[in-house]
Amino acid sequence: MKKSDYKNMWVYIEHDGVTAEPVGLELCCELRRLCDTTGDKLYAVIIGDLPAAEQEKIIDCGIDGIIAVHGTGYDFLNTDAYANAFTVLSRKYNPSAIFVGGTIFGRDFAPRFAVQLDTGCTSDAMQLEYDPETGDIQFIEPAVGGKIMAVITVPVMRPQIGTIRPGTFKYAPTGKKPDLERIEEEINFDPAAIRVRPLGFEPDDNDPELDIANADCVVCVGNGLKDVEHLERYRTLAKLLGGKIGCTRPLYDRGILPYKLQIGQSGVMVKTKLYLSFGVSGAVNHTAGVDADVFVAVDKNPEAQIFNYCDYGIVGDMDEVCDELIAQLRARQA
Amino acid sequence: MLNILVCVKQIPDVDLVKMDPETGNLVRAGVPTLTNPLDLNALEAAVRVKERFGGKITLITMGPPAAEETLRECLAVGGDEAVLITGRPFGGADTLSTSYTIVKAAEALGAFDLIFAGKETLDGATGQMASQLAERFDASQISCCFTIEDIADGKIRATRTLETGRETVEATLPCLITVEKDNFYGRLPNLKAYLEAKTAPITTFTENNLPGLDMQKIGVPGSGTIVPKIYPPELPEPGQMIRTGSVKTDVNRLVELLAEREAI
Repeated sequence: MKKSDYKNMWVYIEHDGVTAEPVGLELCCELRRLCDTTGDKLYAVIIGDLPAAEQEKIIDCGIDGIIAVHGTGYDFLNTDAYANAFTVLSRKYNPSAIFVGGTIFGRDFAPRFAVQLDTGCTSDAMQLEYDPETGDIQFIEPAVGGKIMAVITVPVMRPQIGTIRPGTFKYAPTGKKPDLERIEEEINFDPAAIRVRPLGFEPDDNDPELDIANADCVVCVGNGLKDVEHLERYRTLAKLLGGKIGCTRPLYDRGILPYKLQIGQSGVMVKTKLYLSFGVSGAVNHTAGVDADVFVAVDKNPEAQIFNYCDYGIVGDMDEVCDELIAQLRARQA
Repeated sequence: MLNILVCVKQIPDVDLVKMDPETGNLVRAGVPTLTNPLDLNALEAAVRVKERFGGKITLITMGPPAAEETLRECLAVGGDEAVLITGRPFGGADTLSTSYTIVKAAEALGAFDLIFAGKETLDGATGQMASQLAERFDASQISCCFTIEDIADGKIRATRTLETGRETVEATLPCLITVEKDNFYGRLPNLKAYLEAKTAPITTFTENNLPGLDMQKIGVPGSGTIVPKIYPPELPEPGQMIRTGSVKTDVNRLVELLAEREAI
């Protein structure tokens, strides 16, 4: 088969039987745009039962059709049955591309069916473009620690598979299409052949300090931080501003702050009114995770890339600037 | 006795890799290398399993001859054997062909009960290798493992971190495991182990002595993905820099600006 014989794009809709993960909707919205340029049809692949109201939300993203899969093996998320379902479906319908949300589950099972289908798989693209000359999708993403942008393609094999992190694309539904196609498929996987079984689940404590995605103000501390003893002042500043503290990846890597506070593409995406960064260099992987009304950057390096993303920048010692800001805010509040 | 495989990679220090502005190529020459940090967490988990349940640890890597350094570093921490896959035809491989090559070499060594791998590398950062290795090993997979509870009767019980909490799972062997580093900080080698590792024998596979190797499935020909182009990120125009002469006056000006925008 020639690669031009592979047509249409699919989005996997991860769900728990009650609600669909937002990343599936985000991908449908973004791929609507891409399919409008390639001429492909866009299908949502739903495995197992999902309430009609949730399906309406997906339809509202402008998809052309739904592939609904039923059968045995889907009582809980598992890589064995789900990877098999995609391999079976893909061999039957030969899609040009399959997109999967980059959740822990999505990142587990999509690379597996890529191997089963013997095709190329990419992860974490931040931008999707189409090259009409080659007919390939360009998966564009930061590489080498965010210093460069890399264009990745699947030049020969099909389907082109991509996992995309939640929050990368915006949920902006363009509305329902008039004639929606609905394909029903029965694919059975022997439940006894599922190799990983859940025995129990303990939800995380809901520590509000670790929930920073929608905080009004975030004080982000980067690798410029000398050591953990210097951290307390940033907590004080965050408190004064009614905000929360966050960090960049190196601080998590150094064991100073927990993963849930890591802001950026591979951590939390934050939407905030006021964002203050201290000692953050400004790698694309980090700034991609920041959506701020007002962005303040403080760093000792005047050439730091972070100053390209800020509204207001101060070049200086991060601790000194923080201490001074605390003093002046306190004086103002007094 | 458990037969344990740990997959490791030597990577360039990404902080020091630069892009040649003329050619658009990455300049790696002279850039120091290190063992991918998350691989050391995977190794730590493997060593703990060996200490508790007994077993033998084989280390495996693919890379240039210098990747031997990474194998020796890991041997010193806790490995019994080390395997290097090296050769020009393996170069330029993506995860599809790398996973094929590593599993081919592992098959030549025997059958493994447990395979440990880093969650991702700092250089490629696809995070796909572990899943693709698991698929090719026909193994179950526990990603983001937090604790290993028990291994018995061909099964492993463990906890893993999900987005909203912690799940306890049971998986059949063979099983591929990636770990949360928070619970598996790597140990330092002792001096004796360090010295022994310096001269320990290393098994080397090349394209010439790997049994049943399909040359179309390795290196560039076996890769699903290519990188046709790299470019520097487009940066937005810099923001307003506050340069009033002192920290005190800079901060004062910042507070004024934030107040004007009703941000504080």
